[in-house]
This record gives sequence, C-alpha cells and structure tokens, in this order.
Amino acid sequence: MASKPFSARALTVTGWLYLILGYGLLMLPILTLVIFSFENSRFPTLPWTGWTWSWYQEMFTDGTLIEALKASLFVSPLAAAIATVLGFFGAYALNRFEFRGKQPLTILLIVPILVPPLILGVAFLGLLSRVNLQGQLYSILITHVVILLPTAIALITLRLMQMPKAIEQAAWNLGATEWQALWRVVLPWTVPGIAGAFLLAFTFSFDEFVIAWFVSGFEPTLPVSIYNFLGSNLSPSLNAIGTLVFLLSILLLVGVELLLIPMLLNKPTRSR
Amino acid sequence: MRLSLNRPTRPPDEASLLKYFCLAPVVIYDSLFFLLPLLFLVWIGFWTVENYQAVPGFSLTNYIDIFSQLFSRSRYAFAIAQSLWVAATTTLLGLLLCYPFALALAFVVPPKLQRFALVLAIAPFWTSYILRLYAWQTVINTNGLLNTLLMKLGLIDAPLQIIFTQVGTRIGLLHYLAPIMILILYLVVCNIDVTLLNASKNLGATTWQTFWRVLLPLSKPGLVYSAVFGAIISLGDVLSGIILGGGTGKSILGSFPLFSTVIFNEYAASTNLPRTSALATLLIGIMVVILAAGLQFSAVEE
Amino acid sequence: MNQPVPSTTMAPPEADPSPVISQDLELRQISKCYGQQQVLHTINLTVRQGEFVAIMGPSGCGKTTLLRIIAGLEGIAAGSVVLQGQEITQLPVNRRNTPMVWQNFALFPHLNVRKNIAFGLTLGSHRKGEVRQKVQRMAALMHLEELLDRRISELSGGQKQRVAIARALITEPPILLLDEPMSALDPHLRVRMQGELKRLQQSLEISFFYVTHNQNEAFSMADRIVVMNQGRIEQVGTPAEIYNQPATHFVAEFVGNNNLFDGKVTDVNGTIITVQCPQGKIHTLSDQPHTPGDNVTVVVPADRITLADQPGALGNTIQATLRGREFLGSQVIYLLETTAGYEVQVIRQEAFSQSLDIPIDAELYLSWRTQDTVLLGERS
Repeated sequence: MASKPFSARALTVTGWLYLILGYGLLMLPILTLVIFSFENSRFPTLPWTGWTWSWYQEMFTDGTLIEALKASLFVSPLAAAIATVLGFFGAYALNRFEFRGKQPLTILLIVPILVPPLILGVAFLGLLSRVNLQGQLYSILITHVVILLPTAIALITLRLMQMPKAIEQAAWNLGATEWQALWRVVLPWTVPGIAGAFLLAFTFSFDEFVIAWFVSGFEPTLPVSIYNFLGSNLSPSLNAIGTLVFLLSILLLVGVELLLIPMLLNKPTRSR
Repeated sequence: MRLSLNRPTRPPDEASLLKYFCLAPVVIYDSLFFLLPLLFLVWIGFWTVENYQAVPGFSLTNYIDIFSQLFSRSRYAFAIAQSLWVAATTTLLGLLLCYPFALALAFVVPPKLQRFALVLAIAPFWTSYILRLYAWQTVINTNGLLNTLLMKLGLIDAPLQIIFTQVGTRIGLLHYLAPIMILILYLVVCNIDVTLLNASKNLGATTWQTFWRVLLPLSKPGLVYSAVFGAIISLGDVLSGIILGGGTGKSILGSFPLFSTVIFNEYAASTNLPRTSALATLLIGIMVVILAAGLQFSAVEE
Repeated sequence: MNQPVPSTTMAPPEADPSPVISQDLELRQISKCYGQQQVLHTINLTVRQGEFVAIMGPSGCGKTTLLRIIAGLEGIAAGSVVLQGQEITQLPVNRRNTPMVWQNFALFPHLNVRKNIAFGLTLGSHRKGEVRQKVQRMAALMHLEELLDRRISELSGGQKQRVAIARALITEPPILLLDEPMSALDPHLRVRMQGELKRLQQSLEISFFYVTHNQNEAFSMADRIVVMNQGRIEQVGTPAEIYNQPATHFVAEFVGNNNLFDGKVTDVNGTIITVQCPQGKIHTLSDQPHTPGDNVTVVVPADRITLADQPGALGNTIQATLRGREFLGSQVIYLLETTAGYEVQVIRQEAFSQSLDIPIDAELYLSWRTQDTVLLGERS
C-alpha cells in the first residue's frame, strides 16, 4: 500500500530529527565549555574575539583549583576502591546465600543511593562535628564510600548473576575450599563488573559536590572549589578546567563502553 | 519413617563462615556511617536551642514551629510548594522528552549503531554536574549565547529572562536527569518482546494503535521508575536551584526558593541546627511518601 | 534351548548380594525432600570397584539429584553415602574426591586448557614439576597435547568434553561422576565418544556413575544399568537383562519397544503360563508361582515378532490387521490392530521398499517364541 511506506518513512525522519536535536542539547554545555576555554574574552559570548591559551595558563598558576583537583584525585579513587572491595564481598554473599533477613539487609545496602546528598551531608556533618572529625579529606572519603556502595554492589551483582553456577560448584567438586573457589574462579569472572563498578564509583565521587561541601571544611575537593569560584571570581579558567575534566571523562567513558555496556546489554565481553 | 527436613551438607551451607565474613564489612560500615548519622539527624530534629547552643533532648518544638508556620504564609510552605511544583513539572517534562528519545534509539537507530548511540546519550553523565551548570549559565545568561544569537537574528528585541527563574532550574535538572532516564527507558523498551509488536501489527493495528495499546502499557514499569527517580532527585537537588535558579527563582507560583535551597542556606548560616535538621527530616518524609506511592503504583500494575 | 530364564533382576530394597569388603560406592537408604514433596524414596545402590553404572530415566526421576547427593551438592533427609568403606555423608563437597564431568562442562573460562586440567592439583601442595608431568600424561591420554595452551572459548564441543574429563581424572579419584556429558555434543560425535569413554573407563579401572536419559548411551557403555522413575529404582541389571527381562511395567514401557497386553492367567503348566488377553491367548515362561485367575501383564517385544499370512510354528500366534507403516531408516515399524481393536507394534530390520509388499488392511498372523514373552504382575 502506498501510504504504509510513507508513514514509516515519516516516522523515521521525525525520529532522526528528534535524536539530532536531543543529542545537540545534551552536548551543548560541554561544547560550550570546550570552545570558550579558548576564547580571548573575559565573558564568554558571541561574537568570537580570538583564540588563546591564557585560561589554561591561569588555571595552572592559580593554586586553589589545582589543589582541589589533587584533593579530588586523592579521595575519589580511594573511595571508589574501598567501595568496590566491600561491595564485591557483599554482592557475592547476597548472590550466593539465602538467609532470613536477606531482604531487609538488601534494602539497607541499597537505600543510601536514594537519600539525597543534601540530607546525607547534613547528617554526616551532624555526627562528625560531635566527634570533631569534620573538615578533613578523610571525612569526605568515609562519607563518599557510603553513597558509592549501592552502585558498586548493583553492578557487581549484575555481573555475578551472569556467572554459570556450575563453575563455582565445579571448583568445589575438584577440591577447592570456598575461599579458594572465590579467589580463583569467582573473582576472575567478576573482574569486568568490578572494573565497571570502580569506574562508575570514581565518577560519582569525583563529581559529588554537596556532601563534600558539608564535610570538607578547608580542604575542598574540586566541585566545592568550583562552587566557591562561581560565587566570587567568575573566570573563564573555569572553562579550562571544565575541558580538562571533560577529557578525563572521555577516558572513563571508553572504559564504560568496553565494560559496562556489554554487561548491561548482557552480551559477552571481548576479553577472556 | 517420619522424614525430617534435609540435613544440609557443607557446602553449600547457610551457616558458612564465609557468608559472615563477606557480609560483615558492608553491614558494619553502613550501620556505622549511614544508619547512625541518619538516626542522629532525626534525633537532632528533636533538640532545642538555648543561648545559641544546641541542647540535646526530646522536644517537638521545632516541628511545632515549622508546622505552625506552614499554614500561615511562611517561607517554608512556599518553599515546599515550589519544590513540589518544580519536581512534578520536571519529572513530567523529563518523561515527555526522554521517552521518545529512548524509542527513537531503540527503533530508528540501526542495531549496529545502537550501542554507540547509547554511550553517547549517557556520556554527559560522566562530565562534572557543576561545570555543566556553569556552562548552561553561559548559554542562558541575559547576555549569554542564546540571547545574543536570538537578538542577532532579530527574533527578539530584549533578552529573555531564563536565568534565575525556575525555568533555568528545570533546564539544569533535566540535563542532569536525561541520561539516566534515557538509559532506564531504553533498557525497558529493549526488553519488550518485538514479537508482541509484530503480532499487533499482524492483527491489523496501525503504528499509533500498536504504540498506544501495546508498547506504552508494557513500558509502564520503566516510566514509573524514571518518574520516581526524577521526582526524588529533583526534590533533593541543591545546585541547579542555586546556580541556574538564582536561589529564589521565579516560577508560576512566584519567586520562591526551593525547599532544598532553604535547607542548604539555613545550614550555611548555621543559626539553628536542630530546626534545620527537622526540616531535613521533613524532606525525607516527603520523599518516602513519593517512593511508597511509586512502589504502590508499579505493584498495582503487575 | 527353551531354558527358563531365571529372574534375578528384581528391584531392591534388598542390597546387592556381593562381598561386603571393598565396595566402592554405596548409597544406603537415601531419601530426599524438596519442601513437602519427597523426591527420592529410600534408594539403595552399590557401584562396585571399576564398574560402569548408568543411571537412566525420564526427566524428573531423580537421577541427577542422586548424582549431586553423591558429590555433596545436595542435602539428604535420611540415609548415608559410603565411599571406599568410609562414610562421606557429612563431608563438604571439596573433601569427597568425587569429581564430576558436568553437562555443559563448566570449564573455567579464564584459564587455558592446561590450567583447567591442572586445577585440582594446584589447590594443595604439589610440586610444580610433578603437576606438569601429570598434566602432560593426562593430556596424552585424552589426546589434548596440542591444545594445552588454547583458551576454552576456542575449543569445539568434543574437545571441551575431553578437557572436562581430563580435569576430573587428574586427581586419580576412585569414582567419576558424569552428568549427561554427551547432551551438549553433536549426535554423530556422541557415538564415537561412547566407544572412547568405555575404553577409557576400562583401561583406568575407575568406577563410572553415569547419568543419562539417552538409552543408546546406557546400553552401549554400561556394565549395569539402573532404571529410575519418580524417585525410585525400578530395576538394576546388565543391559541384556534390562532389555530382555524388564521387571516392572515402567521399564517395559521405557526401554526398547514393547507391546504390553493385560490379561488373566488361565493355565499353569510347570513353568509355562498361559494368559488370556483381549489380543489373544499367549504363552509365556516364568518360575514365579502363579495361579489361574491372576491379573497379569504380558510383554511382547516388538522386534521378536514375525509377520506371515499363515499361522507360524513358534510358540505364540495372534491375528491382526495392518493399519500403517513407519520408516525408520534401517528399520520399519508396522502398526497393526487386533480384532478386539488393540494396537500392536512390530519392528523389523528391513528396507521400506520391501515392507511395501504387504498391503494395508492385510490380515496377518503375528508369531513369536514363548521364551521371548515376559510376564509381569498386575499393574499397580
């Protein structure tokens, strides 16, 4: 029928237009950051005034942003690592064992991600100030692990559910103790999940502002520092740092593409 | 012979020591650094203030304070209303914008490209939220990109006031929520059995009918999850309201701050810790209600 | 010779009459429940040293559960498992030394072939040189020498199976458990592997506990077959005994192609029992006591019947009309109907074209020897 192909084509065209528009809007702020980090003007606006590296230079000479970046690069990988390790063991136990109280326990482990950072920041500050632990990078470390755990557990669980139960049982059957089987069979299998969880956790932590703001005091992480910047001296060097952070994100994205997406779409990974 | 329950062999055994070893760290950690602070927060909500010092105790002063103000024209009432309004509209807009996007991803993009397209769509999630908000500032500012462009093209005479309104807040929130909503909806749509859609067409339904009567109902779980997720995030968000909404962004309801902003600012001023904690507890309460409603809604659909 | 065949193949609960010492694997009074449902009813079974025992039965009969109980992967409600004189019921999986060849092989995807095979030896304290030697020997035995450094994902189904077997045998266990190991292989490969597996078992003198639902495998490889149904053992015997002397209705229907006729005993003449069935008067041999009037079932193997247009000279003859034919490659199944309306199957080893000589609706005489008939008790 003549009308059928037409309506299918119209739908496809509309679909593509919508997608292009959507992607454009999604990418707009990022592109803005990158492009204007090179513009030779105090206030990023049109028309274009010229190219420059000066904002990158300023960013590197200004101590605060770089210090904050270092702080973030210290806290986030560590927090992600701790969350991933704790999360692995938790996910393994939840995946393998059935026991009374499993459901409430699972809820306890998942809930932290549903509580807004705002509430958590207030809560953490309340407790930490009582024991005089606020205002340190370690405080941020401890509190970030709490919000990273649910994601780590969820991703590792996703991977564990794809594991054929038989290989762990086969390891026992051949003489391995539970610990040996966990270490030599389950762990190697779970590596893509662990890696993906680490990447995701790192991203969450690196970008997390609210809790860090409440808890960091005089040792701010990068988002907090940026926030302070936004309040006071609105400088285009923010574009520069934004671009750098964006480049870091691209690296993480590649990791995501290789690890997370196959797991989510339940396709075999190319490794192993 | 009366049979008893199976005697378990070891392993697999429920009393395995390994189980405790694996679960203990996470449970202890979460109890210590999550439950404890949260319970502490709720408790602080019941403290009082004397001589500028917070005093432990068990009094309802703060709550009485807040609720009595709620029903007069207090800032708390307006802030809560503003937050609920923005959250609701943002969630609705989010669904209306992201669902077609997810559908387009699943059905229009060629299968080989879909994975790449998905990664591209969730890419913004891996850039800094706060920096994205700053970038949006650049775009929607009074003398920002958008206004400059529109004026240059002669479409408007005076700059549009988007920044420091709740429209601005919504833009920031939507940009934050979009990647995740798209992901959830895409995964849900992908899991719908294509044969069901083909069967519908085969029985004579048009594309629209197939969508309305088969695809949409089957997407309901995903839509509900996205909605609950969007609502809770919107209610709890602080940055968008401050950076793009200007703290007291204007909306249809008026120029009121969001509830989250109020809590945040009161904390920064740190005059009355117990009362701020009570406000935070109130926010938790609202979210629990939304979560429960969402779960109930998706359970009824089952 | 018309010798009565002694029926020594009745089903347990009595244990096998064999010497008490050095039984390799004993299952004693094994019972198991899933929730409220009892899935194994007092199973008693002995696998002797160096014996190839096949457990056969339909899905859900409990054969795989039994296998997993031996390995320690499932609990039991009552009974015990004894291996080489020692009770292993309370031992955890990893201490039982009952390695298994899994249905989908369960090879470790992150290890290559060599490391998969060596796995059992690398758990304890074995010297590296010793391990390497043993792996080399096992690889030679299983024709895997060239594949030792390959990844598991690069192997074919048959190769994976050999690796799985090598991996299980490396610790030199007293018994090998096999869970339908051929089901993941292509059919033409299975036949070849059957021969290899049997030769392997005989040369190593290890006991094999082989679970399958495929009758061909069981018959071609096993020293003894255990037929299970709904959590019970129906019959234990050599392949010939199972095939020629089914002991229960289930076995008669499950194994081979048998016609079952219900009837009443009319005459007892020593070991010759005459039974009146709707299909006709049938003579059979039995050394069990029977009285006229007993309700019995007569089993007539479909491949022992000859077709002719006149009554035959063999012990039994009934009449039937040809209703249809089925082509089975090297065999033809004839479907006939007796005067009372009962179906009878006859299988003959002949070409289909030859079978066309007999037209549909032909009136035929079916004959077979008295000693080929099996007599079973009343249907329960």
